[in-house]
Amino acid sequence: MNTENIGLEKMKGKDLITVGIFTAIYFAVNMMFMIIGGMHPVLWILMPAFIAVFAGVPYMILVAKVQKMGAIMLMGFITGIIYFASGTFTVVILIAYFVACLLAEIVRYITKYKSFLGNVLSYMTFSIGMIGSPLPIWLFKEDFLAQIKEQGMSVDYVEVLEKVATTNMLVMMIVFTIVFAFAGAMIAKKMMKKHFEKAGIV
Amino acid sequence: MLKMDPRTYIIFLILANAVIFIQRNIWVEIAWLTLLLLFLCISDLVKSAVKFGGIFLMCLLLQYVIFPAAPKIISSTFFILVSYARKILPCLMIGTFIVKKVSVRELTVALRKWKVPNRLIIPISVSIRYFPTIKEEVGHIRDAMRLRSIKGIQKIECIIVPMILSAAATADELSAAAITRGIENPCQKTSLIDTKFGKTDFVCICIGVIFVVIAALLQ
Repeated sequence: MNTENIGLEKMKGKDLITVGIFTAIYFAVNMMFMIIGGMHPVLWILMPAFIAVFAGVPYMILVAKVQKMGAIMLMGFITGIIYFASGTFTVVILIAYFVACLLAEIVRYITKYKSFLGNVLSYMTFSIGMIGSPLPIWLFKEDFLAQIKEQGMSVDYVEVLEKVATTNMLVMMIVFTIVFAFAGAMIAKKMMKKHFEKAGIV
Repeated sequence: MLKMDPRTYIIFLILANAVIFIQRNIWVEIAWLTLLLLFLCISDLVKSAVKFGGIFLMCLLLQYVIFPAAPKIISSTFFILVSYARKILPCLMIGTFIVKKVSVRELTVALRKWKVPNRLIIPISVSIRYFPTIKEEVGHIRDAMRLRSIKGIQKIECIIVPMILSAAATADELSAAAITRGIENPCQKTSLIDTKFGKTDFVCICIGVIFVVIAALLQ
């Protein structure tokens, strides 16, 4: 393989299948915290951070296994399609998610796909995409709260949501997500050292 | 027995999402659900129809009879889960159609007819097929953990590691099998199965569109 062209060749059958399988795992983690987020407004706002911790392992292994352009874009695209198909999405999350995937892909391109630090950075960028889920609370507060009330959210949930949706909380959510994404990537690194490298997976 | 083109199911899925998003009228929702249940019944999926019908009735019962009477803490915790369940129920029902009635092969042929590139078709079909495997695997891992009585925070590591290991193994095996079958061959693929739009497909799509219109009118 020509070292200058690392990452630039097209994804082949094996890469596509690997992306498919790890996307399924990522989505399962994602879905679990989505459902938990429905129980309490604070859990919803912290959801991106929770997902960032637990999705670190599948993400880091995927970028280690498929060091080619487009792997993360594809993962984001499939996740978006499944969200769309299951009817649980807002336009904001789709856009935020798309932008985050694109940025993560650019970070990987700049850091040449192999560097660990680059992958950590791309994971942090990617994780921020999930804040698109609670983001409408801040973007169009009144409209959004009225809308979800009408869609069947309970009055209590919306009331608590109104109280916690401050600018401080928004900043906290973003900081938490970034910090937790870093932690998730570190956990992934530790696990790679402890288990996966021995097993010859990465 | 009702058998439709795979593309009809996909269009139906999009229409179902549209109906659920637009509708604000509970009778439209009930009618839509009844129609889908009927579809399930005439497609030989009576068991699933009974299950989904039961879940829907249960949700309605919880939301309109039990929650107003229940303590606040219980109702506010589970209210969202229930309304969420009501929202994705139609999609789950059509999902059942797709999983039970359409093989991945037919789905692939249908998507190819829509000129979806192979780079999307392959990971999507792999993802969809891998979900049941994850569920199965987590079940096995849980059993194994119970045998060795693993507790607390260690549990998380003990779930993640075997899952990733088996995912990586599956990825390798599956790609070896797929490459042997010529997945990387760039030429136009042919298939034994052919999919065509028939009368039933048009009737079903028309019904779906009519429901979207009704849902929009009866807001």
